[in-house]
Amino acid sequence: MSTIVIGLSLSFLLFLLAAGLTLIFGMLGVINFAHGALYMLGAYVCYQIVHWTGSFWIGLAFAPLVVAALGAAMEVVTLRPVYNRDHIYQLLLTFGFILVIEESVRLIWGLDYKQVPTPDLFSQPIALFGSQIPSYRLFIIGFGALVSVLLFLLLDRSKLGMVIRAASSDSEMAQTLGVDVAKVRTAVFALGSGLAALGGVVAAPLVPIELGMGFSVIIDCFVVVIIGGLGNIKGAIFAALLLGMARAAGFTYAPEWVELITFVLLIVTLMTRPSGLFSRKGRAA
Amino acid sequence: MHRRTFLLSSAGAALSAFAPATGVLAADEPADFHIAGILAFSGAYGIIGKDMRQGVELAIADRGGKVLGKPIRVSWEDDETKPQPAVQKATRLLAGGAQMMFGAVGSASTLALQGLADQRKIPLLVTISADDKITRPNGSRYTFRTSNTLGMEIRMCIEFAKVKGLKKIYGVTADYQATRDGWELFAAEAKKAGIAIVGNDYAPLGNRDYSVIVDKMAKSDADGIAVIVTGNDAVTFLKQSGQVGLNKSKTQFGPVLQDETLAAAVGPAAVGVYSGVRYHFTVDNPANKKFVEAYRAKYNEWPSSFAGEAYDGISWWLDVVESTKSWDRETWVDAFAKSTRENSLEGKKVMRGCDHQAAQVGLWGVVTEGQAPLPPLTMKITDVFDASKLFDVCS
Repeated sequence: MSTIVIGLSLSFLLFLLAAGLTLIFGMLGVINFAHGALYMLGAYVCYQIVHWTGSFWIGLAFAPLVVAALGAAMEVVTLRPVYNRDHIYQLLLTFGFILVIEESVRLIWGLDYKQVPTPDLFSQPIALFGSQIPSYRLFIIGFGALVSVLLFLLLDRSKLGMVIRAASSDSEMAQTLGVDVAKVRTAVFALGSGLAALGGVVAAPLVPIELGMGFSVIIDCFVVVIIGGLGNIKGAIFAALLLGMARAAGFTYAPEWVELITFVLLIVTLMTRPSGLFSRKGRAA
Repeated sequence: MHRRTFLLSSAGAALSAFAPATGVLAADEPADFHIAGILAFSGAYGIIGKDMRQGVELAIADRGGKVLGKPIRVSWEDDETKPQPAVQKATRLLAGGAQMMFGAVGSASTLALQGLADQRKIPLLVTISADDKITRPNGSRYTFRTSNTLGMEIRMCIEFAKVKGLKKIYGVTADYQATRDGWELFAAEAKKAGIAIVGNDYAPLGNRDYSVIVDKMAKSDADGIAVIVTGNDAVTFLKQSGQVGLNKSKTQFGPVLQDETLAAAVGPAAVGVYSGVRYHFTVDNPANKKFVEAYRAKYNEWPSSFAGEAYDGISWWLDVVESTKSWDRETWVDAFAKSTRENSLEGKKVMRGCDHQAAQVGLWGVVTEGQAPLPPLTMKITDVFDASKLFDVCS
């Protein structure tokens, strides 16, 4: 039973990491290679806020906003002029973002490790199903579930979501109907960047904060997005649950096979459902 | 005309590329003593490269910037912790006349440089990479390591388990060859010492979630947790084991599990964790006191194990080169293979001619809360294991 609880925490952490990537691809058609760098930046900004204020919760609230604002600026200045060009230009641009963000982080915070402590509220383990479960893991499950529900409601049930989807599926028609497509795209990129940073903030008490941390998550993010179906939030939730549970079971019974299990799931998905388990019909933005 | 120019310059380039391999030209006096410094200056290991560079630069400054009457010049290159850039950049520096190589950080890069060292007959000084394969009997003539091997650090773990009276141990090992070999050595030595192994999990290198493994450890009846991982993986493991209080119920230890840099990344959960220590600024001898004072004066920080080992290794090497009064690299190699460093920062070190590994004591410590001006989390040296317990006989 404890494996299921741990599996859920792995799943929702994976979802938080991948949500921004799938959102940006789903709504803008941009494969954001800089997602890992934005995740890292979120963790560093959170570290700085915690360093100044002593509060993880202020970091959780503000670090994603800071990175979202940066994401908006990046979109306006660099991505906006290349939406109508070939995808390769967007790929190159987001790859360039990685270099700029990493070098900036190195200049601001240096090379040494940074540390964000577990918030006091969740610093003690809880006895559950015969195991000592870190209460911070339970927070991740609850917070991840909340974010997934909010995202689902925002994109699938709200008027704003309808506008975003309209701008995504037929931007010219949406523009004709009075939708400011440019602003919608900026908002979506900012939201995706903020979600990447949110993943970094939530992961910060679990992992070392260092320059390479973005690289280590980007592969997991892409695995979740590909299995779930490019650009599909529901698919991302399902894929994260599938991967998280498979990993928890793998670590319980055969830790050295965990990486293999992950990639077997990816390969099986690509062979049987090349567009992912919950694929959308395509993007037109 | 163009064809002739091309052929002449090609011939010149080829000559300059192969010239360093010839003993005659190597013995000629160049304008300076050129060191190819191949370290990691970017990514997760960038901080190690930075510290090592500081150690080397201080060592050079200490001797007035000269050896054999010529200025010492170091060309630093970032290998990005990858073998291919390491070899490419070192090759370029050797073509430019470098007389020796210093580095690398990661063992994979160091093993790649070792191939180059043998091929070009250029000495390679290693002061941090710990893979046992780097120094082995009848191995590379041109490679010398003045720092610890993983094997000796694994033996320190066993010595510690005996001293601490641990009876049952659960291990977690990074899933790559050097650490797998390390775990097998540990398990074999534990068996000889009557210590039971109650479990071991191989975790992928770069693993970001140890919660399931930590849960298995917490549920086991082990009194010791052997953590054969290092760097980011060590930080991640200790942060996550701290969240369930594993550090309160079991003794966590590992060959290169903690130092001040890693402990700062872990935070309070690092307190009480035991680890092998390659060098430490609290070692009480005149050479180390002088070094620490100079290092703090120059860089305004405590020297890390990377800085200390780099300073110690390059100082030893340059002293031996000076003593040969020769510019012949073969003479340097022969002299270093037979040398002893009586006043190293960690005490006496003896270069073993059989495998070019420095035999030395093993430092072992525990993370404690430091009082200013020490770092907030400081290693306290608890044991110094004799070299005879840590190295196989080698002839």
